[in-house]
Amino acid sequence: MSDRKTRLTITVDRYLSAYAEQLVDAGQAASVSAVFNEAMAEKAYRDRRRRSLWKAKSDAADRQRVERMMAHIDQQLA
Amino acid sequence: MSDQRLTPFILDTSVLTAIARGDPDIIALIQGYDSRNQPIVIPALAIAGACLDARGEEAGDLVAGLELLDNVMVAPLNGSDQATWLAEVVARTGLDPWDAHAAAIADVAICPILTLNAAKWREHAADLDEPLHIVEIADPGD
Repeated sequence: MSDRKTRLTITVDRYLSAYAEQLVDAGQAASVSAVFNEAMAEKAYRDRRRRSLWKAKSDAADRQRVERMMAHIDQQLA
Repeated sequence: MSDQRLTPFILDTSVLTAIARGDPDIIALIQGYDSRNQPIVIPALAIAGACLDARGEEAGDLVAGLELLDNVMVAPLNGSDQATWLAEVVARTGLDPWDAHAAAIADVAICPILTLNAAKWREHAADLDEPLHIVEIADPGD
């Protein structure tokens, strides 16, 4: 993870802001910024994992069958 | 030519369940339409119905992965008017709330419903004021 940071102004739900401050007060996070940074890093990881899963499944598809099914759908829409 | 004019598809619970179960052909089919810039709508309640059928972390990741596609949009159940209309659709069709949400959106937005179970939908296609447009996902070679 990069140590270089970008300044960002964001608007968040009040209860999420309160929770971030609670984590800081409890010593579980260095700052509110660190809380949101970590949350975004987790989301980025989760999204990558989901994209990889979709790609793995898609790579296992029977391409010819998929093309036949798409042609069948297109016919019904024509 | 603009792709913006393509009529969105609505996915029903059967399609979302196949995705949640990791069916490679259905996943590739949806990816194929996404790569054609085909707008795809997934009703929030249909997601709930699919997740009841196929549970677990991978199932959840596969369903949530749909939202990462460029042309997929989740349709929420938003506000009392939509909730009331959903109840009306359930009462008129006898569909479960999961697929009734797909029907309610299709009726308002005039979009086709993509399904793996056309027989079920044909029973209900004429129950609303306007007939539902049902499109079956099937392999003619099967």
